[in-house]
Amino acid sequence: MPEKTAGLVQGTLDMLILKTLALEPMHGYGISLRIEQISKGVFQVNAGSLFPAFRRLERNGLVASEWRPTENNRRAKYYRLTELGRKKLKAETREWQTQTAAIARILEA
Amino acid sequence: MAILRKLVSGLKVLFRSGTAEKELDEELTDYFEEAVAAKVRAGAAPEQARREVTMEMGNMDSVKHEVRSVGWEFSIETLLRDVHYGLRMIRKSPAFASLSILAIAIGIGANTAIFSLVYGILLSPLPYPDSKRLVAVGLHERGEDTPHAMGVADFLAWRDQQQSFEHVAVFSAGYGSFDLSGLGTPETIPGVSVSADFFSTLGVSPMLGRGFLPGEDRPQSPPVAVISEEFWRNHLGSDPNVLNRSITLDGRPYTIVGVMPAQFRFPASKPLDVWTVRAFAPPVARPPYGLRAFGHLKPGVTVQAAKAELDACAARITQQYPNSPELVSTMVPLKQWMVQNVSTALLVLLGAISLVLLIAIVNVANLLLARASVRRGEIALRVALGASRWRIVRQLLTESVLLSSLGGILGLLLAYFSLRAFLAFGPGNMPRLEDVGINGAVLIFTCAICVGSGIVFGLAPALEASRGSVHDPLKAEKGNLSSQAARRTHNALIVSEVALALLLMIGSGLLIRSFLRLRDVDPGFRTDHLLTAVIALPRSYDKPPEIRAFWKEFLAKVEAMPGVSAAGISMSLPPNHLAITNPFTVEGQGYDRNRKLQLAEEMAVSPDYFRALGIPLVRGRWFTESDKVEQDNDPMIVVINETMAKQYFKGQDPVGKRLQTGDPDPKARWETIIGVVGDVKYQGLDAAPEPTLYVPYNENGWTLWSRGMYLVVRTPMEPQSVVPGLRAQLASMNKDMPLARVQTMDQLIEDSVVQEKFRTWLVSGFATIALLLAVIGIYAVISYGVAQQTREIGVRMALGASAADVLKMVLSHGLRLAAAGVALGLIGALAVTRILRSMLFSTSSTDFMSFVLTSVVLLAVALLACYIPALRATKVDPIVALRYE
Repeated sequence: MPEKTAGLVQGTLDMLILKTLALEPMHGYGISLRIEQISKGVFQVNAGSLFPAFRRLERNGLVASEWRPTENNRRAKYYRLTELGRKKLKAETREWQTQTAAIARILEA
Repeated sequence: MAILRKLVSGLKVLFRSGTAEKELDEELTDYFEEAVAAKVRAGAAPEQARREVTMEMGNMDSVKHEVRSVGWEFSIETLLRDVHYGLRMIRKSPAFASLSILAIAIGIGANTAIFSLVYGILLSPLPYPDSKRLVAVGLHERGEDTPHAMGVADFLAWRDQQQSFEHVAVFSAGYGSFDLSGLGTPETIPGVSVSADFFSTLGVSPMLGRGFLPGEDRPQSPPVAVISEEFWRNHLGSDPNVLNRSITLDGRPYTIVGVMPAQFRFPASKPLDVWTVRAFAPPVARPPYGLRAFGHLKPGVTVQAAKAELDACAARITQQYPNSPELVSTMVPLKQWMVQNVSTALLVLLGAISLVLLIAIVNVANLLLARASVRRGEIALRVALGASRWRIVRQLLTESVLLSSLGGILGLLLAYFSLRAFLAFGPGNMPRLEDVGINGAVLIFTCAICVGSGIVFGLAPALEASRGSVHDPLKAEKGNLSSQAARRTHNALIVSEVALALLLMIGSGLLIRSFLRLRDVDPGFRTDHLLTAVIALPRSYDKPPEIRAFWKEFLAKVEAMPGVSAAGISMSLPPNHLAITNPFTVEGQGYDRNRKLQLAEEMAVSPDYFRALGIPLVRGRWFTESDKVEQDNDPMIVVINETMAKQYFKGQDPVGKRLQTGDPDPKARWETIIGVVGDVKYQGLDAAPEPTLYVPYNENGWTLWSRGMYLVVRTPMEPQSVVPGLRAQLASMNKDMPLARVQTMDQLIEDSVVQEKFRTWLVSGFATIALLLAVIGIYAVISYGVAQQTREIGVRMALGASAADVLKMVLSHGLRLAAAGVALGLIGALAVTRILRSMLFSTSSTDFMSFVLTSVVLLAVALLACYIPALRATKVDPIVALRYE
């Protein structure tokens, strides 16, 4: 069931997840909700791309996970940023800013 | 670090895939519930919320699939699933599977067995430290290129002057045996005499005691010996105090100083029991050339430099012995020298057996192709469900590699047992058989050809099966599944299979013809009812009169035995036991030192030797007991063979002519020719006739050479029946002397061609398998074609075609394929059989009969293979065939 992912650039999802987790550990649905809220609904992340991204980030050691009880007393898998993930996020953000700034200058010129 | 983490988490998933799967399920469920809860909180009805979330999340299974395919372990899981699926397909069609597995098992098994011979003998390094720097060294006249033996003068000068080698050593070229006495029944044991540096040059040391010390090969040194582990075990009861024990070899006491580990048998092909040190007295002449030399090059020294050094050394020796010819050196890697006689044959066998494997592969490819058409429906369904073409090809290749691996496992068993049979019953006179076995290198080779052949025979069918659109096969009716392209591939495979089989059959035809010609060679005497043995007098017989007296008495006693019609002795024995060759000069010829040496096979014989063998007398007379030759100044007499008479006395009567032997020297004594006898093969049945000189064994100069002689006994009875009598006569004269190497002449002849016989058998066996596989292939494809064409045949018959027409149609199709294959095979054979040339005896590598006969046989068999399905085609009932519509 293809959902619109509002032109999410390849690899950007990973960065958005990392950014979301920079504040506090979260579980899967929380992350997708947060991305949707902060982007004011521009980005809707579906499960089909979210979960492979979790697996990928975990494999690369950027996030770690643990099972914790949720507020409504279920068990959920919480992801948190690792030290490596934090560095990666910093680097990616800087890279992103230089790129967008450059693109913006080109478009405004 | 990152790789390790990925590895570990991948492995976790693989081995605890249940847990990982459960966690993923749980996580997704949790996500679902949270999403529903959120929607409910936002005011949706629970039912409505559930439906919406289900829509948003999409197919759970495809989400899971996406997640799973993130890690590397996913491809392994896919592989395992494919293997599982493949096994199910194999179980579902046992006839197809067992046929393919069997064909592949034969191909891979035979290849593994032959490769283990090739690896052990030709490829693996010699089991000595730093063996790459071991070289075989020889001296020869200019213009020849094989290493020849060297003489004592050359060796001693070279050993003392050379700088290029760490060590150099020699062993006796005519290594053979020692007479062992003092340990029970006297017997002859295999052994070799060597120079003191023999073991240090190879870099090996005994398991017990020591090797020889430098200087132990000086004339006055006490005689010492090193024995084999086997001899130590069997003859000395593994005596732990064996060192310094004495054994009597050739009537002389030797002190045992070491025991070599099992498996060490250099320089022989067969196990040796003893190595003795040879004492080198200062030489009086340059010949005889009886030493094989080898050395261990110093690091950084090139073979060229070492050669130049030895050439210079040999040139100085030539000046010391002005009558001797100019000699130059040859150096080849020691391994190459050891295996030179078998390398071509082994490579040809490997080539032949790889052709068999190719044919097996083609066969299986054909079977798979036929199945691929049948499976197109199944495959189209999978494509329709979303499988990519690559995924389908991968799945089918997994199946074919699975087939070839099962075949390979079976083949490995086959190889193991055939190799054991080969080592037990095959020709034992091949070098380095002790290094042959199924080892790591062989296993890698087997795995490689398993996977390789699986991919090769699977690729065409897999591409064929995955080809084309999804819709055609799904809606196609039965009977029209085979595409035009598939049929073309079938035909091409059959043609190549026939061509390959013909190639092998022609090769085996050539070898068989050559072998039959070799067996038909006239050795120059009557081989039946002839017993041969070796008798060596111990060193205590050291004066010519004693030796003469011994032989005279012994031969008289043997000829007096009932059942013995003639007995003689000789230094050499046909068909391939030539002891020495000697240069000669015919009277009136001059003494040109630059003339190429003319060599004659020369041997001392007793008068009745000719009669015992049955060599025909052409002119003049044989030696007699009454010839006066035993004193120094008695006239010297010789008997020559027909080849010598033809080459050197053209148009004249050689009887009464004179010649000299030895290096050209005007002062040498003259020897008078008294008779001419027929040619006898002394250098193998396949050798060209050479000039031969016979001299009386009791002639003064030859008597000391006559201590070890071949005995030949002609008897009208079964040859072996005279053996006990012979032993009794020998024991009556000396109880310590063994009657060694007792064999009938027929056995000796058989043994002399055992390698030729064996490889002829082997290649013929391969060719038979190839023919069988090709025939099965043709039969299968034609049958399949007939089954596919049932409707067409039905239509033709309904339109009035007779059974004969149908028969003709099917047969001509098969025959066209076979003929194309034969044509291709003939072209290939013309190009390829020349590599057999060195293995063929008086048979051209393009022998017309072999080419024509095998082609006819192949075509006939192919026709027969088509006949059965053709006959079945004529039985097609048009009504039934058309009802398929």
